[in-house]
Amino acid sequence: MLSGTMRATRSVVAIGLVAALAAGCGSAATTAPAAPASAAPAASAAAPASAAPAASAAASAAAPASAAPAASAGTGFTMPVPSLTPDAMSKWTTSNPFKAAFIYVGAPSDAGWTHAHEVGRLAVQAAFGGRVQTMYKENVPEGPQAAQVVTQLINQGANIIFATSFGYQDTLVAAAKAHPNVLFEQATGTEQLPNLAEYYGAGEDGDYLSGMAAGAATKNGKIGFVAPYPIPEVVREIDAFTMGARSMNPNATVRVVWTNTWFDPAKERQAAESLVSAGVDVLGDGQDSPTTGQVAAAAGLKWTGYDSNQESFAPNAWLTATTYNWGPYYINDIAAAMNGTWKTHFYYGSLADGFVVMAPFGQSVSAATQAAILAKEAQIKAGTFDPFTGPITKQDGSIGVPAGTTLPVYTPTGLSKYSINWFVQGVIGNPAG
Amino acid sequence: MIAIERTLDTPRWQRVALPFASLLLAAIISGLVLVLSGHNPITTYEQIYTASFTSAGALTSTFVYATPLLFTGLAAAIAFRMRIWNIGGEGQLYMGAIGASGIGLLLGSWPTPLLIPAMMAGGIVAGALWALVPGLLRAYLQTNEILVSLMLNYVAGLVMYFLIYDSKSYWRDLTSPTALVFPTGKTLSAAATWPGLTIGSFTLPLGFVAGVVLAVLLLALVRSTRFGFEMRVMGDSTSAATYAGMRTRRIILAVMAVSGALAGLAGASQIGDFGHVLDPRGLEQAQYGYTGIVVAALAMYNPLAVVVVAILIGALTNAGFALQGPGFPPGLVGTMEGIILFSVLGGEILGRYRIRIGSQLRPQRAEAEADAAR
Repeated sequence: MLSGTMRATRSVVAIGLVAALAAGCGSAATTAPAAPASAAPAASAAAPASAAPAASAAASAAAPASAAPAASAGTGFTMPVPSLTPDAMSKWTTSNPFKAAFIYVGAPSDAGWTHAHEVGRLAVQAAFGGRVQTMYKENVPEGPQAAQVVTQLINQGANIIFATSFGYQDTLVAAAKAHPNVLFEQATGTEQLPNLAEYYGAGEDGDYLSGMAAGAATKNGKIGFVAPYPIPEVVREIDAFTMGARSMNPNATVRVVWTNTWFDPAKERQAAESLVSAGVDVLGDGQDSPTTGQVAAAAGLKWTGYDSNQESFAPNAWLTATTYNWGPYYINDIAAAMNGTWKTHFYYGSLADGFVVMAPFGQSVSAATQAAILAKEAQIKAGTFDPFTGPITKQDGSIGVPAGTTLPVYTPTGLSKYSINWFVQGVIGNPAG
Repeated sequence: MIAIERTLDTPRWQRVALPFASLLLAAIISGLVLVLSGHNPITTYEQIYTASFTSAGALTSTFVYATPLLFTGLAAAIAFRMRIWNIGGEGQLYMGAIGASGIGLLLGSWPTPLLIPAMMAGGIVAGALWALVPGLLRAYLQTNEILVSLMLNYVAGLVMYFLIYDSKSYWRDLTSPTALVFPTGKTLSAAATWPGLTIGSFTLPLGFVAGVVLAVLLLALVRSTRFGFEMRVMGDSTSAATYAGMRTRRIILAVMAVSGALAGLAGASQIGDFGHVLDPRGLEQAQYGYTGIVVAALAMYNPLAVVVVAILIGALTNAGFALQGPGFPPGLVGTMEGIILFSVLGGEILGRYRIRIGSQLRPQRAEAEADAAR
């Protein structure tokens, strides 16, 4: 009896400690794959690089910001040189920097979604040097707590706040109404106000191309997909991925497992392993971490990643991935805000404008497959192909998009890419989770 | 031979001084960690203080974190004190949020003074029922309530996700354009918003006031009622309670129900005070149920101390977001929280036990063992 109680006491203390450590060190523990080569050099490269572009930008103040691509900031992406007006140059100086804040749903070390935003933030810092001070808050929960973080950022003098996950939308709408002098930008959302803009891009176009790589790689025609939330954003990615796969292998199927999390390596691992035991031989994912790839590599399978170039995590499994280049967008918008020319907008980037970028192909992708993918990419860039042009058949065999119709990106009512909630033929899984 | 033995009488001054000495020790160790990681501890502590209490909106933010921790801390404290290990505060909070938001949506046209108690009742009933599952299993089948209540957290999480993401439930918003893009819960009517006490720019959530009242009531229950006495006896020894003719099953069920009701109130307060919508991801990411266990442990299961600790942990969490940035990783804040926990718990153990080197039983120990044998 006594020993039983003692054991119980100890385990409770242990659980308490684990809870405390999990709460606190969760981010520290997941920092393991931390900011690889890209982050640090970009930061250190920032200072020297910044002065010159800023100065040269002054000379050609009239030129639009996006015109001259330069300064790669060590990320592999090409970054534009911001063009500031003379007024902005005299207003925002190292002693009075423009303050740009970023709210991250995960940690910059996630090697995926948040890492891609962090690359963008570092590009901003590199492009503007001391004229812009960037700040970020990581692992910010999506809920009432986010409002407090927004308040803190405004107290710290933020001039523009980028919230990088859909779950912050309600918070940002309220904050934008309460703080008309601060600019807000919401990634992947829909609400717009005079000081609240929306931004994202056609990840589905990239997913179609990743799907082609997966369809070419599968031998038994069974592909698995580790998916975060049963929401239109993810459903359309899976639809595009599946259509891409079936364009290479008409009999391919894509089996979907939901994790109900953007970033949780443990859950992602479980989901990926369940797909491996279901007999798939290629894995894709829409998660924020490269865990699925590590499972694929351990099982000797192929894998398409997401968000960032994650090849180094599983080089033998790697096929390709849809990645996002947030930097140019951030640089242009911050320049506009500094110039006083910022207006609310709904930006939807694309392969054509360089917001969506295909990651390098893995060594196992054959020359023929690469050629097919590159040809399709060229068509998408030229505007002659859109994965969501009908006829598209739904999972149940009915018509989803009639022939000749292309889904719009977003309409408040009616079917759009932003509201698609059904799977196409070839997907095994339930789009409602 | 090295042994750890319990000291039988702790001087009163020591009980008061120990937590403060432990906190001081924690501040010193944290300071060392800060120095080693290249930060000035004095300025960091100043920043923590400013960010938690004095800067604009800071105190209000601190109470946003402190309010749920007060409830989940009380929930854990009342159960743990009776040696009933309810780890299920997290799930009971979810169920409380489901219950309170359901009532809030159903009776949205009621006037606020009636709707608030109705929502609280919804949270209390849902949380208590969820906690009674491991309670009944423990009382009648002697299952381990740690495992059962822990596992039920995941079940409650899945229920919550099912209501918003995977079904067209009563809780889910199926009409607004936003909800078409991303599944969300229905937003409660303005009448279901709990009014806070506003003093200048500071807003004290109604839930926090309710939590303080409950803390006082719980202390009175444990200290001054027959039921409280039975609970304390059972906490010390189940067999003694049985021997004295107490109905231990009834006590287990009552403690689990009270604990679950408190955690359920945390969920109701999340809906009424802050969120006004059932938001599975926000509730899951916040982990208030698990952090409540830490709060209870730091408060040494004393309800009034829970109030203080909830504010302190709330302040530290709030300051954590203000501190973190490119130069200050959030893991450092977590490390500091961990150091505080280790120091206080370690201090408590060192206060209650002493390390003895030698082979002979001391008279005190022999006496204690004779006691135990009787």
